[in-house]
Amino acid sequence: MIIKKSEIAGLLDQLAKEYRVYAPVDENGNIAFKAIKEGAEAKLGENSKKPPKEILFPQSEELFNYSVNQEGLRMDSKVDDTKSVAIGLRPCDAKSIMLLDNVFSNDQYQDVYYLARRDNTVIVSLGCNRPSGTCFCTSVNSGPFDTDGSDVLLTDIGEAYLVEAITEQGKELVGKLNLPEADAEAKALAEKAKASATVASEVDLAGLKEKLDGMFTHEYWDKLHEKCIGCAACTYLCPTCHCFDIEDDAKDCEGCRVRNWDACMFPLFTLHGSGHNPRTSGKERFRQRVMHKFNYFVDRYNATACVGCGRCIKNCPVNMDIRQVLAEIKAQDTGSEVG
Amino acid sequence: MQNLSKVIQDTAKKLLEEKKVDLVVGFAQGSLPLRSTPYFARTVDQAANLIWDEYCENNLTNYLRKREEKVAVVAKGCDTRSIVALMKENQIDREKLYIIGVPCQGMIDRKKASKLVGGEILEAEINGEEITLKGNGFEQKAPKAELYYDTCIRCAYGNPVIYDELVGEEVAAKELSFAEVEEFEAKSAEERASFLAQEMEKCIRCYACRNACPTCYCPECFVDTSSPQWISKRAYSAKDNLIFQGVRVFHQLGRCADCGACERACPMGIKLSLLTRKGVKDVKETFGYEAGLNPDDKPVLNDFTPDDPQPFLMKE
Amino acid sequence: MDRNNPYLPIPMRLVKNFTETEDKLIHTFTLEFVNKEDEENFKYMPGQFAELMVYGKGEAPFGIASSPTEPGILKFSVAKVGVVSTALHLLEEGSIVGVRGPLGNWYPVEDLKGKNIVIIGGGFAFTTLRSTIEYLLDPARRGDYGDLTVIYGARNPGLLLYKDELKKWSERDDINLVTTIDRPVEGWTGRTGFIPAVVKEEAPSAENTVCIICGPPVMIKFTQPVLEELGFTPEQIIMSLEMRMKCGLGMCGRCNIGSKYVCKDGPVFTLAQLKKLPNEY
Repeated sequence: MIIKKSEIAGLLDQLAKEYRVYAPVDENGNIAFKAIKEGAEAKLGENSKKPPKEILFPQSEELFNYSVNQEGLRMDSKVDDTKSVAIGLRPCDAKSIMLLDNVFSNDQYQDVYYLARRDNTVIVSLGCNRPSGTCFCTSVNSGPFDTDGSDVLLTDIGEAYLVEAITEQGKELVGKLNLPEADAEAKALAEKAKASATVASEVDLAGLKEKLDGMFTHEYWDKLHEKCIGCAACTYLCPTCHCFDIEDDAKDCEGCRVRNWDACMFPLFTLHGSGHNPRTSGKERFRQRVMHKFNYFVDRYNATACVGCGRCIKNCPVNMDIRQVLAEIKAQDTGSEVG
Repeated sequence: MQNLSKVIQDTAKKLLEEKKVDLVVGFAQGSLPLRSTPYFARTVDQAANLIWDEYCENNLTNYLRKREEKVAVVAKGCDTRSIVALMKENQIDREKLYIIGVPCQGMIDRKKASKLVGGEILEAEINGEEITLKGNGFEQKAPKAELYYDTCIRCAYGNPVIYDELVGEEVAAKELSFAEVEEFEAKSAEERASFLAQEMEKCIRCYACRNACPTCYCPECFVDTSSPQWISKRAYSAKDNLIFQGVRVFHQLGRCADCGACERACPMGIKLSLLTRKGVKDVKETFGYEAGLNPDDKPVLNDFTPDDPQPFLMKE
Repeated sequence: MDRNNPYLPIPMRLVKNFTETEDKLIHTFTLEFVNKEDEENFKYMPGQFAELMVYGKGEAPFGIASSPTEPGILKFSVAKVGVVSTALHLLEEGSIVGVRGPLGNWYPVEDLKGKNIVIIGGGFAFTTLRSTIEYLLDPARRGDYGDLTVIYGARNPGLLLYKDELKKWSERDDINLVTTIDRPVEGWTGRTGFIPAVVKEEAPSAENTVCIICGPPVMIKFTQPVLEELGFTPEQIIMSLEMRMKCGLGMCGRCNIGSKYVCKDGPVFTLAQLKKLPNEY
């Protein structure tokens, strides 16, 4: 099937009658995934500055509000299960959702807030004909047309998108749109786009996890963090970073429990009430970030917590480049260490 | 610039060799086009990695507070102003710091460059006053001066204020301009409020602005305290974001070296320098004071003269 | 209320706000379930913790000091350090608080059956140990276990928690209770000296024995070699860790040591398990 680009806005308007539609929009100069009111707002050409994880895991969200008195407690949980369609995610970001699923639905607990949105959101992703110079998705088990995590995949073929339904939900959604079948030419164009999309930068992940197993006390970390200023640009713009804080926003006995993104780069993140801090300096904190993505997450969920989107590279105020960090780690001598 | 890199390398090597310093903080080749990166050289070999170009945008003074070892720093005009401000606050021991001053015309704004070409820049090359920007299917030339950061264009202190050694030739004096602040001041209160609200909506509370600022170094920032909790930690509250930035600006009065590091660090492109420069302008107009110019004067808000204007106290 | 939402607390009524220590910095809170249904659902074991919520202030994790053998209530002993604990200390009896849990793992009391147990505690880190001792002393369970030795120390007598329980336990002959304070004080009839030294004097046999130890890092650091000297293997030493936590569900990401989350995979670990993890706690 195909969708003509000129008809996208109309189709999104049609979808918006039945679904909440998330699409990349220009928000004061930054592309962000937002629920749109009109199809014309969608800017499918550009990837977002902030990753689309915020569709399922908003930077700030009210978990519940409450009031309490002598008799007891009233709570209203804010679980959002609105039927939604998210369109225009890049395959790397779609894949990141698969990784987040591991966290928010672990072997013991289900995060009902994330999962309600997750279960009710159809992901329509858009393949990358022209990956950016900072992309390295092919090095982290993904690629510019990876379908992992997507319900529908769009491929830009010039005047139109080739539409491929990947999952049952995807088929159901596409079925509602009465799209014309793709002809041989459209299919050929899509094949060509897929074949010619090149991801220039590479990171060699082979053996990296095992290397890191023996590197916790390695001197490499002593200097690595030196230029890092300890802000959260990399973590907040990372599609797989998922750490959060919980606070009460309340006056007296009425208020709400709020969850906000938090970051391992902040000293307060691990500071005990006693004043003790297991991660006292930038060294421990930067090590944690690298270890969490490329070692601990692999231990827990058998996957690397990085999809190679390059946002952390593009947006770091001091040009800390994770590709270089990983290459340097691979080059370290860990011979004398025991794993 | 090639030449300047060589001079900086040689200076650094000499300082390290003669054990005059233990560390040279400078810049190295970045991993992206239009990008250099802070670099810490401790050996003569490492000193060979130091460079100087139009992409050395970070204020390296941020790495100099409370250093135990003897350090040399490669410092632009604005960096040296921050050094002066921090010397006054006992954050930098001048005796242990060697300043390799580098006059600066301005640093190139990557966002301006991307906007100019309308695509991703994969390669950039500077020849004299001209920059060539290359990407997929385009190659465009532009005068590099047009691509300098706004804060650099309006800066009048490209030459280091203090230094132990000056590398390169002093740049011509420029007039300090607050044109954009004046333009902002001329707007109606509603227009100003709506502009600020729009800017503050972009904030994701990553605190890159605060952390990139040499003079923002409180051990516990007011935004992080829980008792009392001054502002909500919610990111979507433009009002709280404005309180964060507002307090930051007030805390910088008479201390801000007007380097624009906060704005350059912001991943969301918030016009932060408009706020900080408003503070700089007001301090200049009110007290005739500019931070970080004179190592021997007192920080203006730590000082008092009977002539200080005090309209908040009494009618004048 | 949505039972499947692990973020929602249950309401409990504060029936007793008791100043536990002489310095007044530790209070013990006794809470009663407001809803019968919540009580039935709140099944916990010694060593587990819960998030205690003061409405309007937030929630914080605390070890459960009561034992599952004490029905109808939960007890928490809380030091005044942060926003939530300070608010708790000021709460009037009768107030409603929120409790979310039980969370984390527990001391492996099932696996300890047939074994001798040595419990070593220091300072106010005695909360989940109180729970454990009460559990083991339960008439229905005491027979399942061998000798029970408890070594508990504080800086001075006024800082010992649970004075009533200590008295009650000292009168029993199925528990060997040794209390110690750092320096001699008039009127004190227990031991004097630091925990490691007292453990050395007591010299409990490692034979078919498991040691549960909980206390300040410095106490653990110096007691560990004593236990090793006595023949305790890392598998026979069980500890409970403290970390800054928020969700308690293994999601929010701050309490990890290597790939383990203290909130969900812990807080109880054997020393053997800890030795395999990075030294970052």
